[in-house]
Amino acid sequence: MVNEKQLRDEVKKLVSRDDVKYVIGYEQGTYGFQVTPSFAFTPEEAERFIFSPLCANNLSVYLMLEEKPPLRKGEKEDTRKVGLVVKGCDARAVVQILQEKGLKRESLVIIGVPCTGVIDPKKITVKFPHQIKPVDVREEGNHYVLTINGKNQKIPKDELLFEKCKQCEYPTPVIHDVLLGDEVKSTKKEEYKEIKTLEKKALKEKWEFWSKAFDRCIRCYACRNVCPLCYCKECIVDQLSPQWIYRSVNRSENTVWNLIRAYHLAGRCSGCGECERACPMNIPLTMLNKKIEKDIKELFQYVAGVNLEEKPLLAMFKPNDTEDTIL
Amino acid sequence: MKIGVYVCECGINIAHTVDVEKVVEDVQNLPNVAVSRFYKYMCSDPGQALIKKDIKDLQLDRVVVASCSPRMHEPTFRRVLEETGLNPYFFEMVNIREQCSWVHQEKEKSTGKAIQLITGAVARASFLEPLEKKEVSVIPKALVIGGGVAGIQAALEIAEKGFKVYLVERSPSIGGRMAQLDKTFPTLDCSACILTPKMVDAARHPNIELLTYSEVVGLDGYIGNFKVKVKKKPRYVDEEKCVGCGLCAAACRLKGRIPNEFDLNKGKRSAIYVPFPQAIPLKYTIDPEKCITLKTGKCGDKALCVEACERNAINFDQKEEILELDVGTIVVATGFDLFNPMEKPEYGYGKYPNVITGLEFERLISASGPTGGHIEINGKEPKKVVFIQCVGSRDKKTHEYCSRVCCMYTAKQAHMVKEKIPGADLVIYYTDVRAFGKGFEEFYNRVQGEGIVYRRRELGDPIEVIKNNDKVLVKTKGHPDIDADLVVLATGIIPREDSKELSRILNINQSADGFFLEAHPKLRPMDTFTDGIFLAGCCQSPKDIPDAVAQASGAAVRAAEPLAQGKVEVEAISAVIDADVCGGCRMCEDLCAYSALEFDSEKKVMTCNDVMCKGCGSCASACPTGAITMRHFDMQQILAQIDGISAEAIVQ
Repeated sequence: MVNEKQLRDEVKKLVSRDDVKYVIGYEQGTYGFQVTPSFAFTPEEAERFIFSPLCANNLSVYLMLEEKPPLRKGEKEDTRKVGLVVKGCDARAVVQILQEKGLKRESLVIIGVPCTGVIDPKKITVKFPHQIKPVDVREEGNHYVLTINGKNQKIPKDELLFEKCKQCEYPTPVIHDVLLGDEVKSTKKEEYKEIKTLEKKALKEKWEFWSKAFDRCIRCYACRNVCPLCYCKECIVDQLSPQWIYRSVNRSENTVWNLIRAYHLAGRCSGCGECERACPMNIPLTMLNKKIEKDIKELFQYVAGVNLEEKPLLAMFKPNDTEDTIL
Repeated sequence: MKIGVYVCECGINIAHTVDVEKVVEDVQNLPNVAVSRFYKYMCSDPGQALIKKDIKDLQLDRVVVASCSPRMHEPTFRRVLEETGLNPYFFEMVNIREQCSWVHQEKEKSTGKAIQLITGAVARASFLEPLEKKEVSVIPKALVIGGGVAGIQAALEIAEKGFKVYLVERSPSIGGRMAQLDKTFPTLDCSACILTPKMVDAARHPNIELLTYSEVVGLDGYIGNFKVKVKKKPRYVDEEKCVGCGLCAAACRLKGRIPNEFDLNKGKRSAIYVPFPQAIPLKYTIDPEKCITLKTGKCGDKALCVEACERNAINFDQKEEILELDVGTIVVATGFDLFNPMEKPEYGYGKYPNVITGLEFERLISASGPTGGHIEINGKEPKKVVFIQCVGSRDKKTHEYCSRVCCMYTAKQAHMVKEKIPGADLVIYYTDVRAFGKGFEEFYNRVQGEGIVYRRRELGDPIEVIKNNDKVLVKTKGHPDIDADLVVLATGIIPREDSKELSRILNINQSADGFFLEAHPKLRPMDTFTDGIFLAGCCQSPKDIPDAVAQASGAAVRAAEPLAQGKVEVEAISAVIDADVCGGCRMCEDLCAYSALEFDSEKKVMTCNDVMCKGCGSCASACPTGAITMRHFDMQQILAQIDGISAEAIVQ
């Protein structure tokens, strides 16, 4: 894991620069296993920065959330850079945003963290359901060491790791200006085991599976808000004329919403899994994303957010493209 | 809102399978429908008068006509509305012929479908919005790209109509392929004799500005207002001073040592040259790849050409220039390349000097060619000559189309051999002789009568040309082998090597065979899909000289129309970009086939040039944020139409 002193020093150096506005990173949360995003505008604020196996959030979403009010007359655009701490999966989202020209490369300073996997908060809260006080978590070899009430607990990594981390092919950020520590090489391969199992099931079974899942949806749109790639100025669910998706919470509308969300990320989703993490109703949203990711890999030999030079998949029309996707 | 619905019987085309009376009765009850009628031919004058009368008497404000494809008659009916004072875009057409009566047999069902389609159209019609047609002024100048016979013809005809023409030619002289030919079939006119007067006319015409040794490298703008970038390569010879006397070429140290491209490298030239004696303009050009001064900075004590030139025309400091031309319309006449028979090694081309292509043969028999018109191979007059047709044509492995000229030029060449070497033995391997043009069959019969042997072979049958001392042995299936002194391959016409690049610059399309694509194969053979750009000659498809000239004349007329009008009307249906929603991802930019989209880097949003936009909708369908909508096809209109069709389907 990353040396936090090195991280803070790097951030301090950055925020002292005239051409850097602020740096986005993580700080200790207020309770339990939470870490929260932190924005350092000054070297002092950089002291708060941490990096631990609990840093699951994809901070690149904040790049797209910054409000940019229209300029007043005579006012000049603030072109200062924004610093960002990224893990492997976060970096792919950044690449995707850059490919889509959502941001300019020169507006970013990327601090890359070679990642050895992060903890799924849902898994850890199941093990320690009522933890109020903040917990210190360290990684030691194949185990996590948790210090709760002064006592150390050793838990195998596999029990707490995010599923996505177990198949992560890009643990070292594919894009970075600074890399903290040594590269982490991946020997893992995304095999889509879960997807393949579901694919084999009968139509009726699949429908039941998803109906059950979507029935739970409360349409809070946390999945959209947390996604770094859901940055349309006007989301399809907010459109009233025509109103593509009605606001009523029922199976039909929920299904439409969840499928449209997944399709709007086709060829773009970098697989950070934030949607599923943010979902209060435990809808297996990454399965939808992964299914599309798998199909795209098979059809177009394309992986989203790994090559800055490439165009977005849906902007790369070729006359000899396979037509299997056309219904 | 009052909508009038008019259903056409189209004689029996529609009425035979659609119960028109029932349709009219049914749609009468749709919301907003004030009147519905049927008539035998809605597009006829009485049909149109019927609609006009209703618009006036009933104060209709939307009109729906259910008849044929809008391609033909949408403009007709839009005019009807315009003439009665309605906005022409308050019109909606339903195709119940191609999309209903012609493709179905059961009357009841097709009647139902017609009602559904009309219900959708009526629903859509109430949301139609008035659109204004736009007019743009036209710069009264034209550009012709390519100075072959088609380009020359087009330039001359536009110039004759009183408009300024820029004729851009890549090589040092105009004339093109036709200048390389000896005689033309079937009349056996001397090619140069009929072409050179035209070349001179083009050069002398006060309205034509020749830009030779120049290439089109960029194009911006739209019909009426194109901005063309032309790269003028340096000749290193002052065109004003050079009189074409040729003293420089005679003095050049490399005289007779550089293969001449015009003679397909069979003849030799100097480093300073004109491609052929009748070149227009007759100005010398220095080959920068070969000239000793240009390559090494020094040519002996003094460059001999400089010494020889009495008018001090040679200027080694000339630089490439980029000219910017403003023109209203463009004719593309970039011609063709010839199939390279090296792609088919069985013919032995490139391996044996006895195997040559048809065009090389033309230079061999041309009086201005490297041998002065004397047919010789390895220094000897050939006694046995074999012609092989369809090399690179009609062949699925190379080019599937027929090149149209090879049958006749082979017949002509055989005739020329017979004329020059009366005792020669001639065999032509053909697959089918396609003698379709005026005088072609007669010419073919004449040649056959001259003792020239036509041997048929299937294209798929194996053929082999192998070395046999200083001759070659031609082996074919089903025929005795021939020991030939000379083998002439009738190589086919293929698109120019750089067609793709040019199509990208000009934003015009290519068909599957690589030639430039016309807007309609029958009715708009000179137009491209880009307004204001027209095609002439072999850049569109293989042609013989009269066809190329005919097309060039046609293209010249088409290109002169907007120039004469002084203004053009452009499509009112175009894309609208909501700047508040646009995310500036620029995904639409590359998809636009008409270069109508431009990025506003200050506001970081895409903008659409209404004049260039054709309203095709590619951008709207690709826009990830839904910021682009199409005028006349906005979301509300389309959804209303879908709702109309599906609601009626449920009722039925």
